[in-house]
Parts: sequence; structure tokens; C-alpha cells
Amino acid sequence: MEAIEHPPIFHLPGMPDHVTYTWLVMIILAGVAFMATRRLELVPRGAQNALEIVLEQFQQTIEDVMGAAGRPYLPLIATLGLFIFTANLMSLVPGLAGPTTNLNTTAACALIVFFTYHAVGIRKQGVVNYIKHFMGPVWWLAWLIMPIEFISHLARPLSLTLRLFGNMVGGHILLAVIFFLMGLQGLLGWALSGSVVGALVGGLGAAVTIAFTVIFLYPLKLLVSFLQAFIFVMLTMLYISGAIEEADHGHGAEHHDAGHH
Amino acid sequence: MRRSLMLGALFVLAFPGLALAADAPATGGWLAPFTVIAAAIGMAIAAGLCGLGQGRAVAAAVEAMARQPGAAARIQLAMVIGLALIESLAIYTLVIALILLFGKGINFA
Repeated sequence: MEAIEHPPIFHLPGMPDHVTYTWLVMIILAGVAFMATRRLELVPRGAQNALEIVLEQFQQTIEDVMGAAGRPYLPLIATLGLFIFTANLMSLVPGLAGPTTNLNTTAACALIVFFTYHAVGIRKQGVVNYIKHFMGPVWWLAWLIMPIEFISHLARPLSLTLRLFGNMVGGHILLAVIFFLMGLQGLLGWALSGSVVGALVGGLGAAVTIAFTVIFLYPLKLLVSFLQAFIFVMLTMLYISGAIEEADHGHGAEHHDAGHH
Repeated sequence: MRRSLMLGALFVLAFPGLALAADAPATGGWLAPFTVIAAAIGMAIAAGLCGLGQGRAVAAAVEAMARQPGAAARIQLAMVIGLALIESLAIYTLVIALILLFGKGINFA
């Protein structure tokens, strides 16, 4: 991908870029949280107000999806959501690298979710009950259900990882190709080459491409950034609530997505 | 019609081999040019079928929302999750295409 994509401007020597920019995301989030909570007021204003709105949205969504049982998992879910959303937005800024355009970052988030929901399920139900959870409703079908459930559970972190990574990288490559077409080796270079036809066609083409990027592509990428963070968080909630709920297989997250993987 | 399509496909698939026979390959062996075609065709099929699937899902969801505006929020939630699960299948293909295009660990000897 180095062929079409400029490396990020700021580069720590000996450190992979996605780690550097993960630290930047952490600094931004911690800084905003620190600034907003430095002087807490009963009637919030400014940054405190904005963060409270964000947090209330998270609370509301958790309440809707998981019910009251999901309230202890607000820190995990809100942290994941804010981190992924900020990291997605960071890949839209030219000159910065997005942490989520690297497979390692998304795999780390997905593995956190994977181990968390299994740990939560085992702690809530006990080991035996939780394993029974995998065996399906009737005992004589357990030999068939068990491998299917096993594979579907193993596919969950894979699909979480690849969905976020693929969406981000796909959009990233699209933007890189557009910028490449538009740049000094492309339309703009043609427009500045000195010939009249080049100035007409290249200038017009560059203007159209810039307008297309600004009006259509960037808002689309903003929407995708939000949507992917939302979907990651939503699936996390579904997995955790699927692990919490008692071993009835009639409804809930289990059947909802077992067939899709 | 069908025979011309098949001939065209055969030509497209045979062309990298012919081009390679003309000038000796520097790296990658004879299989390397085919990976580009495979990535493009695979992504095209995946995108088309993913579009069909998502179209059906969105059509059903919009119809349900028009019938029951009160339940629009929950239907929208289910629709977004379903779309993400459908889309992830196309994303798998995208990842495979990216591996074929940019992967350095594969040795096509």
C-alpha cells in the first residue's frame, strides 16, 4: 500500500505508526475527559455538557439492548466506542495514520470483547452451566450443536476484526486513489503542464474531483466511521447479553447471528 | 452471445500469460498477474451479490417501517445490524483481495 499512500507526517523512530497514533488517540480522549471533569458543575456547561450527552446516549443504548443487566459494562462499551470512533476519524485527517486501518488494533479490540464476554458468562453462570449453553436445547443433538456453536463463537472475533479493518482500509484506499488521481502526477499536474487543452481538461477534472470528494466522499466516510464504531459496540452488547442470559435458546443474540457467519 | 462472453473471459485470463511469455518475469512467477484478476473478479462478484442482499434487507425494513412507524427505531436498529452482518461477507472478500494485491508473505513460485 506504500505505492499509493503517503506515510504519515509524524513518525516515531522504531515504533509502528498505528501504535504511535493509538497513543495520540489515548492522549486526545484522556485530555478531553480531564478538561471536561476538572470543574464539575451541577448545571453542566460546555465540554462537560457535551460529554454528558455522549455518555447518556451510551447509557440509553445499553438500556435498550441489554436492559438493566448491562449497566456494569458501560465503561467497557463506552471506552471501546469512543476509542474506535476517534481512531476512525483520525484516519480521515490527511497526514495522520488511523490506528483502525491496521489489523493489529482491530484484532486487539475484538479479542478484548471475545475474552470479556466469555469471562462474564462463566462468572455469571458457572463453568458447567456456561458449557451447557453451547449444547443446544436437547441432549441428543449436542454432538451436532456443539461444533457449530464452537465455530460460530470463534468466527465472532474474526468478523469483528475484519469488518472494522476492511471498512476502514477500503475507504482509505479509495481516498488515496482519488488523491493520487487528483495530485501533481494526475489532473493537477496536467492542468499545470502549460498546454491549453491540459489546463482546460485537467483544471475542470480537478475541480470536479475536489467537489466530489468534499461533498460526497468525506461525508460518506464520516458516516461509515460512526456506523462502524456503532456496529462494533452494538455487537459487543449483543454478545455480552447473550452470555449473561440464562440457557434458554428460544430468543436473543444467539440465534440472531448464528446463521450469518 | 454466450460463446463470445466465454471467449472474452478466456482471452482476459490468457492475456497475462501471453504478456509474460513476451518479457521474462522479474518476480512472482507466472501466477502473480492472475492474482490481480482474481482480486478484481472476486471483489466484483462479492460487491454485486452483497448489493442484492442488502437491497432485499433494506426493502423489507423500509416496508415494515412504513407499515409501523411506531416501531421504526427498533426496525432501524435491526436493519443496521443485519446490514453490517451482510456487508462483512463482502468485506471478507475485500480483505482477501487486499492480501492478493499487497500481501508480501505469499510466494507464487
